[in-house]
Amino acid sequence: MKPYLLHEPDGSTWERDLLERRAQRVRERPRIADEESVLWVAEFPVGEESYAIPLAMLRAAVPLRMVTPVPLSPPHVIGILRFQGQILSALSLSSILGGRGWREDPTVLLVVDPGFGRLVALDCERIPKPGGYPHALVEEARARSEGAVIELTLPGLRQVHLLDLRRLMDRRNVLESRNA
Amino acid sequence: MLDPLMEQLLVGFVDEADEIYQRLTHDLIELEKGTAARAQVFDGLARGLHTLKGSAATLGLDTLADLAHRMEDVVLPLRGSEAPLPPAMADAILRTLDVWMAHLRATNAKIEPPPLEPSHALLDHVKPVGPPGVALQSPAAPAVSSVQAADEERQLATALQAPPPTAPPAALVTSEADHPRRRTEDRGPDDPPPKAPAGEESGWRVTTRQVVGLLHEVERLREVRLRIEERRREIERALQQLDRLGIQNDTAEARAVLLAARRSLIADGDEAADIVASMEEGLKAISTMPVRTVLEPLRRAVRDLTRQQGKQVKLSVVGAEVSLDRRVLESLRGPLVHLVRNAVDHGLEIPSVRESRGKHGEGALIIRVEQQGNMMFLEVADDGNGLDVQRIRDAALRRGIATEAELAAMGIPQIHQLIFRPGFSTRTEVSDISGRGVGLDVVRNEIQGLQGYVEVQSTPGQGTRFILTLPAELGSSPVLVVRCGEHQLGIPMAAVESSRAAKAVDVRVGRSRMQLQHRDQLLPLQDLGALMGLRQSEAPADGQPILVLASQGKRIALSVDEVVGDKDLVIRPLPVEVRDLPAYQGAATLARGELVLIVRADWVVNQERRAESVTGTRRALVVDDSLTARALHRTALEAGGYSVHTASSGRQALEQLRHATYDVMVCDIGMDEMDGFELTREVRQRSETDPMPIILVSARDSSGDRQHGTEVGADGFLSKKDCVSGRLLSEVSAVIARRKGA
Repeated sequence: MKPYLLHEPDGSTWERDLLERRAQRVRERPRIADEESVLWVAEFPVGEESYAIPLAMLRAAVPLRMVTPVPLSPPHVIGILRFQGQILSALSLSSILGGRGWREDPTVLLVVDPGFGRLVALDCERIPKPGGYPHALVEEARARSEGAVIELTLPGLRQVHLLDLRRLMDRRNVLESRNA
Repeated sequence: MLDPLMEQLLVGFVDEADEIYQRLTHDLIELEKGTAARAQVFDGLARGLHTLKGSAATLGLDTLADLAHRMEDVVLPLRGSEAPLPPAMADAILRTLDVWMAHLRATNAKIEPPPLEPSHALLDHVKPVGPPGVALQSPAAPAVSSVQAADEERQLATALQAPPPTAPPAALVTSEADHPRRRTEDRGPDDPPPKAPAGEESGWRVTTRQVVGLLHEVERLREVRLRIEERRREIERALQQLDRLGIQNDTAEARAVLLAARRSLIADGDEAADIVASMEEGLKAISTMPVRTVLEPLRRAVRDLTRQQGKQVKLSVVGAEVSLDRRVLESLRGPLVHLVRNAVDHGLEIPSVRESRGKHGEGALIIRVEQQGNMMFLEVADDGNGLDVQRIRDAALRRGIATEAELAAMGIPQIHQLIFRPGFSTRTEVSDISGRGVGLDVVRNEIQGLQGYVEVQSTPGQGTRFILTLPAELGSSPVLVVRCGEHQLGIPMAAVESSRAAKAVDVRVGRSRMQLQHRDQLLPLQDLGALMGLRQSEAPADGQPILVLASQGKRIALSVDEVVGDKDLVIRPLPVEVRDLPAYQGAATLARGELVLIVRADWVVNQERRAESVTGTRRALVVDDSLTARALHRTALEAGGYSVHTASSGRQALEQLRHATYDVMVCDIGMDEMDGFELTREVRQRSETDPMPIILVSARDSSGDRQHGTEVGADGFLSKKDCVSGRLLSEVSAVIARRKGA
């Protein structure tokens, strides 16, 4: 039996789109299978949206407990905590991103290394799930993006915001994004 | 060729000899200066040389034993003389000691040792003849040119730097009582040197790596202690759930088991906390050392340089008794040598020039060490030439460090900063001391590597000050821990003058400020909670603790909710994100693992008018048991111009509402103990809080919750996913407007 879509002589728009998406997925598959061309990420929700950070930057996911609030600190600072002998800042990711709504009170802190030689903890609603994004796709999106949040459209039209932690943690960017 | 046993003994002997060498160097410089405690210092010198001789002979190092014996020959006839040690003789013995030490190190490292014959010849030149005291009048001074001296120094430096076979620097681990060497570090500058080093081998030697490893293990143990606490809380929660179900036959056994487990965990947690505290105390004693240990060797460097350059310099050290992290101090050795050499070579003038400028012929070089909380300030100051701005400009241009245009745009402080650039030197010729353009950039890099920074201040003709600011992680400070609401805060004990209980009769409450009548004086009175932005300022209740703080010449009375106690804490810098907050000196870990913020006393005493500045703004109270939710609501509301106070429970919110009024309350529904519905109902039952608009927030967006909220008196309802900044603010504005219109 011939494939259904080939029987459509004029080819309506949604059908062509579907075909294109399938073709795209097929094109992507070998690249995902190849570890070197995949950016491994930790993906987690912030409210209704999906966010991700490069897995290589994730040091630990710890329960959001024993955080000491810091009075008079900027609002995006949840507090400070001890992690493996160091004192880290715990920051509200949603607040840094400009005040997104959330579905559940965050119960997890992601300890990340943004590449400044120091660790930072970011709050998170749930323990992140590991995943892999095609490098080419990431690079293409990165080239289009100027900010700390890189918008990715994954195969299947799933939208994910990949965080450039280095840019995000830059204090100026934190202030700008909060004031935006 | 030494046998294996002797080789092992040799490793220990090198360390021991190094300490004696440092002590002898100090003693010789003291004798040269004509110290008042001459007899005691002389005895120490003689004992040290004797120990070197005896130990070298025991190890079969006959040539070194012989050279030590020759040094004794030179020194011992001087016993009883009151005259200062002639500089030429001091030179000869110091140089011989250098060679002796270099030879020993080279032998240990199995490399070619420097020859000893020139040292024998040097000692022959200065050996006293005739009865004691006579020789000191005119010692035979060998003519040593600065170039020869420099060559010798280079050879010695090479030999002295020969790495010992045991790579990492060693720290001594021993009790003070049974080991005289630690006492050596602790004694005051004028104290007599320690007794003969009998039993010096009774301690252990451990590497820095081992000590650091133990420090990490203590941290791990502290985290285990925290996990025990977590388990206890989980059991607590399980017990609460069982209690809600009521005591039933099928849960009674489980409840008994949980109660027993909770008791055990409490005991285990307490024991773990005790172990952490005691291990930390012990490791603190091992891993810190007095700053003196790195400053004392500089006396020799200054002495030799001034001799070489025909200058006179008095080196004074202030604050050498401060104890700091050994690792930091080891890293400071190099920068300090650079700064001191720089001061003698570039800064301080020769006596004739100084006198022509109206200064004392002897230049002043001062090293001052001060620890303030978690920071160490180390200042190297001289009263010499000061930085020559024109020469710095010329040198920067000549060496391609800056262009004409860049230099023209620079102010004086920026030009001063050029001296820290790689390759910078004002010298056109390279000497043994300077001119290679290597020095101050190394200092800056080293200090930056320690998370510190260097500043320079200079006045032409009056001198230069280099100030090194460093975090001093292992230094400890006495701190008074107080409670304010749910927060624990530390206040440096140095600033706490006294504490007392509040009496209504002594408190004067004005429109915008409070004062305390204290010992016939009226002091400004502040509420720590209000200063920290946690609540509105409130007059202290009778019996509430009040601290009298003094800092920077100002005094202030500070009311707190509770004095928890005084503790000796290791204050550590805050993370970068909050380091710039002027209110804090740092944070410290309490024995149970919780962090406590240490408030700066100087910040507190300068906050007299802060409370007034926030009047007139709209106020919001956020009640949520989630830290992160409180942060998010605060972000949104502060962006809308609200002054936000937070509470983590319904009870705490009610307490705050007793003392303050708010324009709106944003309250989570799902809280333990007292949920948002119950809190709203309580608020509505009180006449003073009844008019306040309330917005309930829930993770669930259910019509049931909305309905229930309206029934108990809430004005608005938002789901947490709707709490984007604009939405929360518009809802807040809407409920306030509705209340006003009602």
